[in-house]
Amino acid sequence: MPNFITPVLTKGIGELNLRDIEVYKSTGGYAQLERAFKELSTKEVLDMTMGSNLRGRGGAGFPTGRKWSFLPDNGRPRYMVCNCDEAEPGTFKDHMLLEETPHQIIEGILIGSYGIGCHHAFIYIRGEFKAGYQIFRAALDQARAAGYVGKNLFGTGYDLELTIHRGAGAYICGEETGLLNSLEGKRGEPRLKPPFPAIKGLYGEPTVVNNVETLAYLPYIMRNGAQWFAQAGPEKSPGFKVVSISGHVKKPGNYEVALGTTIRQLIDDCAGGLRDGRTFLGVQPGGGSSACLFEEHLDLPYDFDTISKAGSMLGSGAMVVFDDTTDFVKAAHALIRFYAHESCGQCTPCREGGNWLQKTLARILDGRGVHSDVDMLVSASHQMTGLNLCALGDSLEPFLVSVVKRFESQFRAYIKEDRKEDRPAVAV
Amino acid sequence: MTTQADAASGVHPEPTALADWSPYATRAGNFFDALYVQIRPECDAIVAQYEDSRSALLPMAHLFQEHEGYVSPNAIVAIAYILAVPPAVVESTVSFYTLFYRKPVGKYMLQVCRNLSCIINGAEEIMAYFREKLGAAHLETTADGLFSYEEVECLAACDRAPCMQINLEFFYDLTKENVDDMLAAIRGGTFGVKPLVQTAPPQRTWKVAQDTGRKSSGGVGVSNPNNAGGIGDATGVIMLDRFVADPAYGQRSRERLTHEKHLHPDSATNGHH
Repeated sequence: MPNFITPVLTKGIGELNLRDIEVYKSTGGYAQLERAFKELSTKEVLDMTMGSNLRGRGGAGFPTGRKWSFLPDNGRPRYMVCNCDEAEPGTFKDHMLLEETPHQIIEGILIGSYGIGCHHAFIYIRGEFKAGYQIFRAALDQARAAGYVGKNLFGTGYDLELTIHRGAGAYICGEETGLLNSLEGKRGEPRLKPPFPAIKGLYGEPTVVNNVETLAYLPYIMRNGAQWFAQAGPEKSPGFKVVSISGHVKKPGNYEVALGTTIRQLIDDCAGGLRDGRTFLGVQPGGGSSACLFEEHLDLPYDFDTISKAGSMLGSGAMVVFDDTTDFVKAAHALIRFYAHESCGQCTPCREGGNWLQKTLARILDGRGVHSDVDMLVSASHQMTGLNLCALGDSLEPFLVSVVKRFESQFRAYIKEDRKEDRPAVAV
Repeated sequence: MTTQADAASGVHPEPTALADWSPYATRAGNFFDALYVQIRPECDAIVAQYEDSRSALLPMAHLFQEHEGYVSPNAIVAIAYILAVPPAVVESTVSFYTLFYRKPVGKYMLQVCRNLSCIINGAEEIMAYFREKLGAAHLETTADGLFSYEEVECLAACDRAPCMQINLEFFYDLTKENVDDMLAAIRGGTFGVKPLVQTAPPQRTWKVAQDTGRKSSGGVGVSNPNNAGGIGDATGVIMLDRFVADPAYGQRSRERLTHEKHLHPDSATNGHH
């Protein structure tokens, strides 16, 4: 195992039954929760999170401590919501953490809730994760029986409830305001922002929505100190990250590394490299919404800022690796079909644009495309971007345009004949 | 038929013998009525978990679907009744989520991933094989009511692609051989996954939008209100009786509306509540 794999959240997975509270406690679990309640003030937990420079692991990479600090001090009830609606194409880290290490998620949620001073936290679990839901529910029952959830925690008089809420199959509920609407028993349609959830979130009250992985790091940051986390990886985007690697590699899986590890190290040393006899064509570095990166990017350090500078994004930390067997027209079609299917339908550019792009790609795949269709993919996806309430409508352009530009010949090869009468009536 | 407006305003006819107006003359012993009485305490416990009762909408829909195999028109009205919201609100919300089936489905819901990591690892071949072996296309149920087949989006198991779920249990690394084994085990009754409850015979598809034939230009299905599987559906609504028979419903509904204003003081200005 390469020495830059640094198991923190993933430590013990596959060796210990971390679903059991006693096993988890034997690894030091829940000790930090007790310490937070007994020895630290809410402000100290917030300062520690700020000091660690932990950035959100769900996709946007927003500094967690800063997000917490936006909550107004208005005496209203406030809420912590843990986002476990993982559905970003290529991402499977939360799925694993939920099923393998439910207690560290619970501990993270509880520490985070204490850090913002809330008394009712929620975890929104994707509807498809039925086994994960059952495992988490059993773990929560154990935690409740041990006195970590409920009234008067550790005799401090602090009440903290944690409620599990199951989704029912909608990618858009991973968007934080869509999630809040879903949690309120509504259609999971994202809200107009501002106001952001920190000001008006769940039930109109100040709310923090954090990813599973983000919260799960909190107990370890408390245990080892904010400096330990802040000093791993680059200064502006420090810490560790569970990277989901899939696609054309020998050993797909979740690998936890310090940010700043290069893409090449992740693919070759963690995931075992490409399948034998194949050459590398591209990698999608941060989930379905990120632009494809290519050979010239392989030696870039994998962290939020560097990947952004390279024109893509780290996103949820999901790498999909493509070798020379990849048909990028089919790959693009699969992703665009996904966004078209998952659009909530509120914003016209996303609702109509996604469907038209999918139809255009289907037409190209079917051999009925014309050359101007390929140009239209680029222009139409660009025209959708930036005009929507949430980021879903902006997520079609990056991958599609990056692969059309790089592998244009693959798209053109599907076009049999460019007859004038086949062209769209309106030149695009 | 007594309307929702009548019920909400508290102006409604005195409950009369059901046979006078309802198509459900045989209400006594009706499956849904018994189910409602049985799971109402569980519903109340769910409601008690939240600051706002409406948050219980999705969990209750899950609960009814678990018992009925789908979210029936009766379940929609039952949820509306418990939450004191109009049934259309429940209908609108439930229809947003793909895991809620508003019409009966097969005993085994086969959901094969069609997203990126699976597609580049041979999912297309697996999907074609399923369609051929089942004789059912995407979103269709087999004629014997045993299988429903759907091609779904990323299931978050990309490291073991192609993958699928059967009744929400994961199956990984699909090949034609293990697909054959699975189908044979299900047909032979030796499969390890529990079948879904089936309380009504499934139709060709469980998707409301697929039935209407009407599409917007971009392709998003627009459901036909006359065939929406909702409370106007021909399967009827036992639960409407309870609206009619409950003189307190109007009051509860008014309280709910007052409460909602308190929850969202600015809802008129931000437009997305």
